[in-house]
Amino acid sequence: MAIEIEGLTKSFGRVKALRGLDLTVPTGQVTGFLGPNGSGKTTTIRVLLGLLRADGGRATLLGGDPWVDAVALHRRIAYVPGDVTLWPNLTGGEAIDILIRLSGSLDPKRKALMLDRFELDPTKKARTYSKGNRQKVALVAALASDADLLLLDEPTSGLDPLMEAAFTESIREIKSEGKSVLLSSHIFAEVERLADRVTIIRDGATVESGTIAELRHLTRTQVTTVVDSGADGLAAMPGVHDFVVVDGRASFAVDEAAIPAVLAAVAALNPRSLMANPPSLEALFLRHYGSELAALAGGEPK
Amino acid sequence: MTGAPPATPRGTRPATASATAAGARAGARRQSDALAGLGTMVRLIVRRNRVRLTVWVVVLVGMFTYIASYYHTLFPTQKSLDDFAAVSNTPGIKAMTGLSAAADTLGGAVWTKGWMTIALSLAIGSAFLVTRAGRADEEAGRTELLRSRMLGLHAYATASWLVNGLLCLVVGAGIAVASAANGLDPEGTGIAGSLIFGASVAGVGLVGLGVGAVAGQVASTSRGANALASAVIIGFYVIRMVGDLGNGALSWASPIGWGQQMEPYAGNRWWPLALLLALAAALLTGAALLESRRDHGSGLLAERPGPASAPPRFASPLGLGLRLQRGPIIGWTVAVALSALMFGSIVDSMNTFMADAGGAMADFTRGIGVDALLAMLAGMIGLITAAFATQSAASLRTDEASGIVETQLAGGLSRTRWALERLLIPAVGSAVLLLLGGAGLGAVYGSTIGDSSQAVTMAGAALAYWPAVMILVGIAVALFGWAPSVAIPVAWGAMAAMWFATMLGEVFGLPTWMLDGLPFSAVPYMPLDAMSWAPEVIMTVVAAALIWSGVDRFARRDIQPG
Repeated sequence: MAIEIEGLTKSFGRVKALRGLDLTVPTGQVTGFLGPNGSGKTTTIRVLLGLLRADGGRATLLGGDPWVDAVALHRRIAYVPGDVTLWPNLTGGEAIDILIRLSGSLDPKRKALMLDRFELDPTKKARTYSKGNRQKVALVAALASDADLLLLDEPTSGLDPLMEAAFTESIREIKSEGKSVLLSSHIFAEVERLADRVTIIRDGATVESGTIAELRHLTRTQVTTVVDSGADGLAAMPGVHDFVVVDGRASFAVDEAAIPAVLAAVAALNPRSLMANPPSLEALFLRHYGSELAALAGGEPK
Repeated sequence: MTGAPPATPRGTRPATASATAAGARAGARRQSDALAGLGTMVRLIVRRNRVRLTVWVVVLVGMFTYIASYYHTLFPTQKSLDDFAAVSNTPGIKAMTGLSAAADTLGGAVWTKGWMTIALSLAIGSAFLVTRAGRADEEAGRTELLRSRMLGLHAYATASWLVNGLLCLVVGAGIAVASAANGLDPEGTGIAGSLIFGASVAGVGLVGLGVGAVAGQVASTSRGANALASAVIIGFYVIRMVGDLGNGALSWASPIGWGQQMEPYAGNRWWPLALLLALAAALLTGAALLESRRDHGSGLLAERPGPASAPPRFASPLGLGLRLQRGPIIGWTVAVALSALMFGSIVDSMNTFMADAGGAMADFTRGIGVDALLAMLAGMIGLITAAFATQSAASLRTDEASGIVETQLAGGLSRTRWALERLLIPAVGSAVLLLLGGAGLGAVYGSTIGDSSQAVTMAGAALAYWPAVMILVGIAVALFGWAPSVAIPVAWGAMAAMWFATMLGEVFGLPTWMLDGLPFSAVPYMPLDAMSWAPEVIMTVVAAALIWSGVDRFARRDIQPG
C-alpha cells in the first residue's frame, strides 16, 4: 500500500476538519479522492505531507510516518497543490528546477519533454502567469521528477481541455511505470477515466470506497428509450426510478439487480431506440450529497 | 487635499458605454469619468483602515501630548530651560532630531525632542498607507475587480490620497490643539507657534503621501513601492542631517528641512509650508499622470523574460533565500555604505561645534566630544542594520503565510534546516553590514584626520551591536514559532519600540534600569566607553535561546497559511 489511513481526525479550534477518515492507495494504482469543498480533502493531503499533525488515527505513507519521517519520505513523493503559490520574481523554469531538486535530481530531458507537452514558457516571471500556467508549473515539476507517489490536489483546475488530455496521458505513463497516484478532484469524468479506485468523503469522514466497478455496482444505470406505446407500464416495475417521458422519449434509472427484467419489458414494447449509460461518479456523488451538491455540480464547467 | 485632479461631482456616472469607447478610440478618456465611484472608494478605504488610521492619530498626537505635559513639569523655570538648551546644543542632537531655533523655550524643547520623530513617522506612515490601497491592491488583483465596475481611472487612488491627506491634517490639528492647551507658545505670541508646529508636521506628512503615490506608480510590487518611498524619505532626512551639521544650506534641499525651517515658537514662518504643499501637489499630479499612461498592473519597467532554468544552489534554502532577498540585501548594503560615508565625512567638520558646546552636563548626553559622536553614529549603523535583520527574519513568516513554504517542505527538506539556513542571512548579513558601516565610517573620518587606525576601531565599535541586532532577530523567530499569526506586526513593533525607547525613553520617564536593559543601550558605547564582554555574551546567549525556541516550535507545530 502506498497510503493507508485509518480513523484520521484533525480539528482546527472547534472546527472538526477530519472525523475518522479512512483512505487507502494501493501501490501502482490511481486512487480518486472525491468530496465537496470543505470536506477535508486538502487537510488530508496536508497531513500526508507532514504539514499538519493529526490529532488521532493512523496514517502511513510509503511505509513511513508522514510527520516523523517527513524529510525522507518527501524524496519519494511529488505534490501538486490546488492553489499554486510561486515566487513572484522567479521564472517558471527556475521554480520547476527548485522543486525538482528539493526531492531528487533534475533530469533536463524529462523537464523539456513536460514543458513541451504542457506548452509552458519557462522564461516568464511567475507573477505574470495565469492560474492555469501556475498550475502547469507545479504539474511539470511533479511529473518531471522521479517520485514513487504523486499527491495531486485538484491538479487540473484552471487547465484547458487540451492540457487535460496531456495530463491524462502523463498519469497513464506514471501508472504504467508502477507508480502510485492520489488524485483529488472535482472533475468526475477525469477520475472515472484515470482512477482504479475511488474514495468519497463528506464532512471529514469516508462515505464510500472501492474500485470504480464496485461503486458502479451500487448505483443505477440510466436508460433512455423511444417506444410507440406502453412506456408508462415501465414506471411501475420494481427497481425503476425517476421515470419521465418527454416527447415520446422515456428516461429512467434502473437498479443493477432489476436490469434483466426491465430490459426484457422494454424489448417487449418494440423500442425504436435504446440508450443505456453506466452510472457516472456525478450520480454517485449526488446520491450521497443530494441537493446540497446539485448546485455545486451544476456550477462545474464541463 | 492638494494636487488631486480637477474634482468632479461625486458619484458621476459615465454617460454611455459607447461614448467611453469613442473616447478610447481617440486615445483619450473622458476626463469627467476619471473620478466615478470616488465616494464608494473613500468609504471602502476608511472601512479597511479605520483601526490603522485611529492608531496613527492616537499614537502621534498622544506622543506629542505626553512629551509636552512631561516637559511642562520637568522644566518649571527659565533657568532649567536654559540649561537644557545648552545641553541640547550638540552635534548629535542636531544630526538626529535637529535643534529648535528657540531651544530655550518650553515649546522649543518639545520641538527638539518630538518634531522629527513625529514628522518622519507621519511621512513614512502616509506613504505606506497609500501603497496599501494602491500598489498592494493592484498587485493582489483586487483593484482589477473594482475597476471592472463603474469606477474611474483615478477614483481609487484619489480616494486614498483624500483619506490619507485627511489623516495628515487631523494629526497636525491635534498637535496644534495639544500644543496650545499645554501653553507651549512663548508669551506674547498667541498660538502662532502651535499652529506652525501642527502645519509643519502635516506638510511633511503630505510630502510623504506624494512620495508614496509616485513610488506606487513606478514600482510594480508593493514591497518595491514601500522600499522606494522609504528610501526617498530617509534620503530627505539624511540630506537635512548633513545640512544641519554644516552651514545649513543643504537643509533647504530637503522637504524635511523646509518643515524645520517653519521654526515654530521662534521664526514662526508660514511660507515654507507653501513649498511643502507645492511639492506634494507636484508629486500627486505626477502620480496621476503616470497612472493615466501606464497599463493596469504594470510599473514603469516592463517585465523581461528570465532564465529557463535555475542553478542547483537554489534548491537549498540559503541559496534560494539569497536570490529572493537579493534586492533588499543590495538595498540595505547601499544604505549602510552611503550612511557610513556621509557620517564619516561630517565628523571632523563638527569639531568646531564640539569646542563651542562646552562640557556642562556631559554625563546627561552620554558625553561630548568626537568619541561620543562616533559612538552615536556607530549606534545609528546598528539601528539601520537592525531594520535589515528584522525584515530578513520576518520573511520566514511571510513565506509561510503566502503558502510558498509548503511546496518546499513537500520536498526532501526538514523545517529546522529550512529555518536555520534562512536565518544565516540576517545573522551573517548583519555582521557584514555592521563591519562595512563601521569600517566605512572610520575610514572616511580617519582620512580627514590622517589616522588610518580609525577604520578598525569603528568596525569593532559597530560590530559590538551584533548581539543586540540578533536579539531582535530572536524575537522575530520566537514570534514566528509561537505566535505566527501576529509575528510580523509584533516583530516590527518590537523593533520600533526598541528604537523609540532608546531615543525617547528618558522623555517617557522609563526607569533607568529598564533603559539600560534594552539591547541597544546595553551595547558598550565605543569608542567613548571601553569594550565590556559581559553584556555581549549575555545578549548572544539570549538571542540564541530565542532563536532555538522559535525554530524548535516551528518544527513541531502545524503549518499555518495566513
